[in-house]
Amino acid sequence: MARIRLESAGKRYPNGFAALESLSLDIRDKEFVVLLGPSGCGKSTTLNLVAGLEELTSGSLYFDDATMNAVPAHRRDVAMVFQSYALYPHKSVYENIAFGLRMRGHPAGEIEKRVRDAARRLEIEPLLERRPHQLSGGQRQRVALGRALVRQPAVFLMDEPLSNLDAALRIAMRAEIKQLHHTMQTTFVYVTHDQAEALTLADRIVVMRDGVIQQIGSPEAIYDRPRNTFVASFLGNPPINYLEGFLREKENQICFARGALSLILPRQYSERLRGQAGRPVKLGLRAEEVDEHSVPRAGETLHGRVSSVLPVGSDQYLGFEVEGSLLFFRVGRDLRHKEGEHVALSVNVNRAQIFDASTGESLLWDGSA
Amino acid sequence: MKRIFLFCASTVFLVYVLAPVAWLVSSSVQQEAEITSRPPHWIPREPTLENFEAIFAAKEKQVTYETRRQGDPATGGYIPSTARNLVPAMWNSLIVAVAVVILNLVVSVPAAYAMAKIRFVGRSASIYFMLTTRVIPDIALVVPFFFFIHKLGLLDHLGSLVITYLAITVPFGVFILVGYFESLPDELDKAARIDGCSRLQTLLRVYLPLAVPSLVAVVLFTFLTSWNEFLLALMFTQTPASQTMPIIVAAFTSDFTISFSFINAAGVLAVIPPVILAVVFERYIVSGLTAGAVKG
Amino acid sequence: MSRYDQMSALGLLAPMLVVLLVVAVFPVLYSFWVSLFDLKLTRPHRVPFVWLANYATVFQDPLFWASVWRTTWFTVISVAAIMVIALLAALLLNEEFRGRRFLSAVLLVPWAIPYVANGLMWKWIYDSGYGALNGLLFQLDFIDKYMVWLGDSEKTLALIANAFVWKEVPLATILILVGLKSIPGDLYSAARVDGANVWRRFVHITLPALRPSFMLVLIYEAMMAIRHFDLFFILTEGGPAEASHVLAWEVYVETFRKLSFGTGSALAYIMAILTFLLAFALIRALGKKL
Repeated sequence: MARIRLESAGKRYPNGFAALESLSLDIRDKEFVVLLGPSGCGKSTTLNLVAGLEELTSGSLYFDDATMNAVPAHRRDVAMVFQSYALYPHKSVYENIAFGLRMRGHPAGEIEKRVRDAARRLEIEPLLERRPHQLSGGQRQRVALGRALVRQPAVFLMDEPLSNLDAALRIAMRAEIKQLHHTMQTTFVYVTHDQAEALTLADRIVVMRDGVIQQIGSPEAIYDRPRNTFVASFLGNPPINYLEGFLREKENQICFARGALSLILPRQYSERLRGQAGRPVKLGLRAEEVDEHSVPRAGETLHGRVSSVLPVGSDQYLGFEVEGSLLFFRVGRDLRHKEGEHVALSVNVNRAQIFDASTGESLLWDGSA
Repeated sequence: MKRIFLFCASTVFLVYVLAPVAWLVSSSVQQEAEITSRPPHWIPREPTLENFEAIFAAKEKQVTYETRRQGDPATGGYIPSTARNLVPAMWNSLIVAVAVVILNLVVSVPAAYAMAKIRFVGRSASIYFMLTTRVIPDIALVVPFFFFIHKLGLLDHLGSLVITYLAITVPFGVFILVGYFESLPDELDKAARIDGCSRLQTLLRVYLPLAVPSLVAVVLFTFLTSWNEFLLALMFTQTPASQTMPIIVAAFTSDFTISFSFINAAGVLAVIPPVILAVVFERYIVSGLTAGAVKG
Repeated sequence: MSRYDQMSALGLLAPMLVVLLVVAVFPVLYSFWVSLFDLKLTRPHRVPFVWLANYATVFQDPLFWASVWRTTWFTVISVAAIMVIALLAALLLNEEFRGRRFLSAVLLVPWAIPYVANGLMWKWIYDSGYGALNGLLFQLDFIDKYMVWLGDSEKTLALIANAFVWKEVPLATILILVGLKSIPGDLYSAARVDGANVWRRFVHITLPALRPSFMLVLIYEAMMAIRHFDLFFILTEGGPAEASHVLAWEVYVETFRKLSFGTGSALAYIMAILTFLLAFALIRALGKKL
């Protein structure tokens, strides 16, 4: 159980590459934090810094109030699950799980009890005498989890632990990991590039890019109030749609305009957007923010041409050309549109996002919530 | 068609590789009368082990200069009194080789692990340094070694060989091991350290058990290099107390009064241990050679 | 990378660094220092510092240039033969057939044999009185009387080279075999589809793909040939006359027969630099992979 604080943490490699510039992050005790971002964004480096596998080149790291900068990994109370599982090939499953406890000098009886408990929890008891190469991917994953959880560490770190599993197993393991966090009552830091994992698991998501935190917030905050186009694009499937245009004010209403298109933005945006008429902006519309059943109303409707219909079982994706831009929406499968058809789609403007056209920064949220 | 071709090629191959050795073995069990026949008897008609007996029981068969000229009446052969030095020399070779193997592992294993798995400042410099020392010709080391060994008072002492053989075997050992350690996943290293291992414990408890194949290769290379080394042993040993097998065998070959069958018997004895090791551990040696030379 | 890693890396490396500094770096530097003195063990009390005079002496000695020439010749014929034989052996061992494992085990026999024993064996084979070479050629009617082999200064280098080649072929074969195994089978299938016959597949796929292995073998074996000493000692001691007086033998004679450590060191240094130049290419080729 520990609070983890990174203050202006920097990591620069001897070859001059700066993986992290100045990163500040405060992870609360027992919190489940997911570091999310594309490869090379510094999320794994951050995790390695917390683990003690790498050392900060500037700034500080605290567990609770203790400075951890110079404490090597083997003297930190952390456990970690790796993408490749990293099980010791020459040890049995039992010994793999017990190894961390042995190295830290726990008495034999306690090791036995803890290993058995963990194995029971993870339903791998029958596998204890096997070697890792005799296990399936899912079983290895469980052993790797077991190895980490027997330690009952203050900090539980996971580096893309589900990336090597097939899709079905991945969903099931997500639920188990969430359950694990619930029962272990300890701090989890989880690295992934999979936005769905992040949204499912996290208490808070940290979106990173090029060694810089883009936004920190609850999954809802990150999804509904993205601070910039990077965050907005990284979450959501299919990704958020953008339309470039201008702000316009008429009759005390603020509108987004592009060519013949004019969308009336919700009243609660007025305060932030007032007095900026003519500013070039990007409108962000998530794929699911169309309402196929409501009657199109002025100021909330997109007129365009269906360019493609892509059924995906439960729903279908609609390729939709509006004012020279191609957007993708997710609609129910009972909606029958044909390619080439001209239709009017009612959109949920209450969830529309407005970004500055050149910087991509949100004009609505500063990311503080 | 292809099978016939492969069969013929294999036969040529076997003859090329084995014929010289077969002839060595064949002549080692021939008597003096037979070995001097023209043309030679490829297969001995009256095989005898007297040459080997002479080596293992040489003390009782002193041969003086006079008897040597006429052949030793006791054996009918031309067996030198120095024959008795061969077995002790093989012991010396064994002692040196085992000592070099152990010291080599103590030195190479941690160094190779550090170079393969730790990203430290000076890593590539130490790799280049190690590679550079690997190509120093041993003959260029002879003179400085001579003074060095002289200073240490180790001339004509097995210790001189142990020290100098380290110089020629350590770079190769490190080289093979670095290649092998690099092929093992980095995440194991991380996992071990998270599990509470220091660097040294990670090496000893995780990587070492996994590196057994390459360790076997290093042990064999080091052993064979030490067992076979000639030049440095020639320089630094002077008496049977420290002379190794190659020195004694080389001394036989330059003595024209000695029976060829005896020399060949000595040669066979010198060849047996390394050949057995090589053939038994063929797989490890091949993988070690390829790791050392190609993967690096 | 962390301070802990840095310190532990240095700790783990320390034994190797100490060993190599003491037994490799120091001797090499010391050897250069010695080569600047006129140091003769036959005259141990007067050791004048002579700058590079030893090198001048060496370079003015016609025997030195003759040995350089002989070493070059020995190296060229040895390496060429090693490459050809090893390539053939590797092609054979790259095929799948019964007995292949046996052949690859047998292949290691020459490699494992000590050079001294190898020398002894070939000395006996080449023996002019009762040797196998004479016996065989005589029985096959290639010669009508026993010949002198090693004692014939025209043949002696080639015969020593033959003994050297026999012992070096296994290593070269293994290195080339690795190269062969790394050629993707798809390439051959594609060439087959394109209608290339065995020979064309060999010339257009196998040989180009083996280039790195050839380079490795070439450089490594050249280094070995240049510095080779054992066989010259056992087989001919530099003779007959000076027919096999190569560079390595020259170093030995200067140093340990004439006890002239100064010029001996200078010679050894020249040799070391020669091999270094060759090895430089090797280190660069291998260093890249680390």
